[in-house]
Amino acid sequence: MRGCAPPGRALVLFKGATIEKLQLVWESLPLLLHGTLVTVELTVGLLLVGLLLGVPVALGQVYGPHPLVVLMSSYERFFRAMPILVLLIFFYFGLKPPLSPFGTAVLVFGLHSSAYQSQIFRGAIQAIKQGQLLAARALGMTRLQALCYIVLPQALRLSIPGWSNEYSGVLKDTSFVFSIGVSELFRQGWQIMQRTREVFLIFITVAVIYLILTYLGTWLLELLERRLGVPGLAGQRREEHGRVL
Amino acid sequence: MSCEILRVEGLHKRYGNEEVLKGVSFSVRQGEALAIIGPSGTGKSTLLRCINGLTEPDGGRIWLENIEITNAKTDINKIRQQIGFVFQDFNLFAHLTALDNVRLGLTKVKRIPKRQATERAMAELNRVGLAEKANAYPAQLSGGQQQRVSIARALAMEPKLMLFDEPTSALDPELIGEVLQVMQDLADEGMTMVVVTHEMGFARSVCDEVIFMEKGVIVEQGPPEQIFLRPQQPRTRQFLGKISELYGGTGS
Amino acid sequence: MRATLKWGVVIGVLVLALGVGGLVPQAQTQTFKVCSDISWPPFEWTDAKGQFVGFDLDVMRIIAILKGYKIEIQNLGFDSIIPAVQAGQCDIGASGFTITSERARVVDFSNPYWESNQSVLVRTDSGLNIITAFKAGNKIGAQRGTTGAQWVEDNVIKQGVAVELKLYETYPLAEQDLINKQIHAVVEDEPAAKVAVKASKGVLKIAGIIITEEQFGFLVRKGDPHKLLPRINDGMKEMQKKGVWNNLVEAYFGVDVNLDRITQCYSDLKGFLEKNQPDAYAENLAACMAGQPYKKP
Repeated sequence: MRGCAPPGRALVLFKGATIEKLQLVWESLPLLLHGTLVTVELTVGLLLVGLLLGVPVALGQVYGPHPLVVLMSSYERFFRAMPILVLLIFFYFGLKPPLSPFGTAVLVFGLHSSAYQSQIFRGAIQAIKQGQLLAARALGMTRLQALCYIVLPQALRLSIPGWSNEYSGVLKDTSFVFSIGVSELFRQGWQIMQRTREVFLIFITVAVIYLILTYLGTWLLELLERRLGVPGLAGQRREEHGRVL
Repeated sequence: MSCEILRVEGLHKRYGNEEVLKGVSFSVRQGEALAIIGPSGTGKSTLLRCINGLTEPDGGRIWLENIEITNAKTDINKIRQQIGFVFQDFNLFAHLTALDNVRLGLTKVKRIPKRQATERAMAELNRVGLAEKANAYPAQLSGGQQQRVSIARALAMEPKLMLFDEPTSALDPELIGEVLQVMQDLADEGMTMVVVTHEMGFARSVCDEVIFMEKGVIVEQGPPEQIFLRPQQPRTRQFLGKISELYGGTGS
Repeated sequence: MRATLKWGVVIGVLVLALGVGGLVPQAQTQTFKVCSDISWPPFEWTDAKGQFVGFDLDVMRIIAILKGYKIEIQNLGFDSIIPAVQAGQCDIGASGFTITSERARVVDFSNPYWESNQSVLVRTDSGLNIITAFKAGNKIGAQRGTTGAQWVEDNVIKQGVAVELKLYETYPLAEQDLINKQIHAVVEDEPAAKVAVKASKGVLKIAGIIITEEQFGFLVRKGDPHKLLPRINDGMKEMQKKGVWNNLVEAYFGVDVNLDRITQCYSDLKGFLEKNQPDAYAENLAACMAGQPYKKP
């Protein structure tokens, strides 16, 4: 009889056997942290690949001749349109690159992220006043010099808030990589959950780790933004803005 | 003429259907300060930009000393190093300090060793009275200070010719004086300058020659005394009359 | 000094990141890659130390010993295994695959190695039995795309009994919903249901078994390019003949599927496998699981 069941059975997780539960979390930590390391390596790797590819894409879109603009824009649209899982499967099983699953994941996620990063970067480039480029050319700089000494240093600074966003987004997307056999944080949690059937406990622990990673990463980027900050350009403290509004 | 620094011949420029320069010719001698005045939108800025190749003319030729700037074989970057350009809205590099703004062209374009470049940059900042602001970023400087830094940035390249494109138009009235003072000092030191300006007082008292331009052509050219006191063209008279009505006291 | 972006460092890190896995070395002769989604106890799971444990994996390890080749076990998402086998990135799929005609069109199966039936899982306190669990209006849980879900669809709903079938991403979530009293019963493979019962510490029980007799098989690329199927089939026969098979079945699918215990026994005894002594391994594993004295390698 359903009515006879003691109430609140669903909460057994948090009521009884607390020590046992904590012990399980403790025992699971090595595997979860191992997965965390994979997640972090993957995220950092893909963001760097995305940066290296995204910057030229953005530069091509803003400064390139028409055919290059079309090419870069098609690239960007293509990788933004493709679901990451489709890309992973296509690259790993279709193209069979001579890379480990991890290397493939970094590459595929990097390509995907480069499309998004290019748009962060394009916005930053377009925020730079054009007059500065005229001034650079007027000094006798070549286009490349103006790009390296004027555009890049400013655009990279202006991109940091956007990257922070991209970072926290891709961090969670990385859980797709198990489809090609890379065991990251979410997968490790999944495996522990299958063994222990402790659905909530494990996923709450995983969620807390993601929270910490997100917090840590965005904090580091904020630190970088301030360190590289230039008055009137980027990296103003919140308080300075707060004073105005 | 041997002491001719800049020569412009029959310059034409068209933007879409609008012809902004309709055959402009003039020359500038070594040490001369030339003012170009005229209503807004008459092609004065375009003319300046054609001179250092920031804008490509549709027709006509330009020489800097013996080198034809408009020749496609000329290395325009080499030419630009010899022509200083000061913009209406300063265009300082926002991510660099005043010192780095002045130094960048020296280290990256002229490839002068950093120590030497720093010395020269500091000297130029000193020249415009801003040595103590060397480490300030553009956003921390007033408009007048920014414009002086931008002049120092151009001067550091040791140009043969300085082009000023309405250098005081974006400034608050009380900041105009400090910039004009720097420019006057330059003229006194014998710098060859072409100044597009609405500052009639400056054109009159500092410049050796004045060009009045309207609708893409030179209406009248002559020494300041002629332009301001005895204009030959009715249109020049009309324009200057309107200016003095607005601002009072251009000296007429 | 002002911080500037140091591209050297950036590229260095990048190369490092890509180099972690690096280029996959050319496979040695006679090493085959066995792919499995190692999260379905007791067929295959990952223990607290990250070791790969399970019935499927032990069968693969023992056949490799008997047939004189080496295997490398790759943990891979279930849905990716068949594509990987087709693409040649896995040589064998060993992950509790039910032999279906659809799958048999794209891969080749070994002889069946397991007949699985479905369990009906209920809460111990619900008083439901295998008949009352499927009363009209009840909610039944199953994992998406499994035989259990198909069975409820075909044999309950299509027969006119209006139960509500709730599909889950994975069985543990269905079990959790059952514990939370959101549903009345869960239909899942018997060995996995035993794992759930054990983990629930008496909250759940198996109300009954539905005989579906679905067959599990190992799978290889269509055409069996490495001629693995004869070796696998032969190896399984040999295991049965020697009693190794029965010992393994007893160890993994005994009355009480105790994963912690199996993990412990496996850790104690895997040395036998390393010394190429599958008979001793299986015999002692069964003894260890039955709580009898056993010999360590």
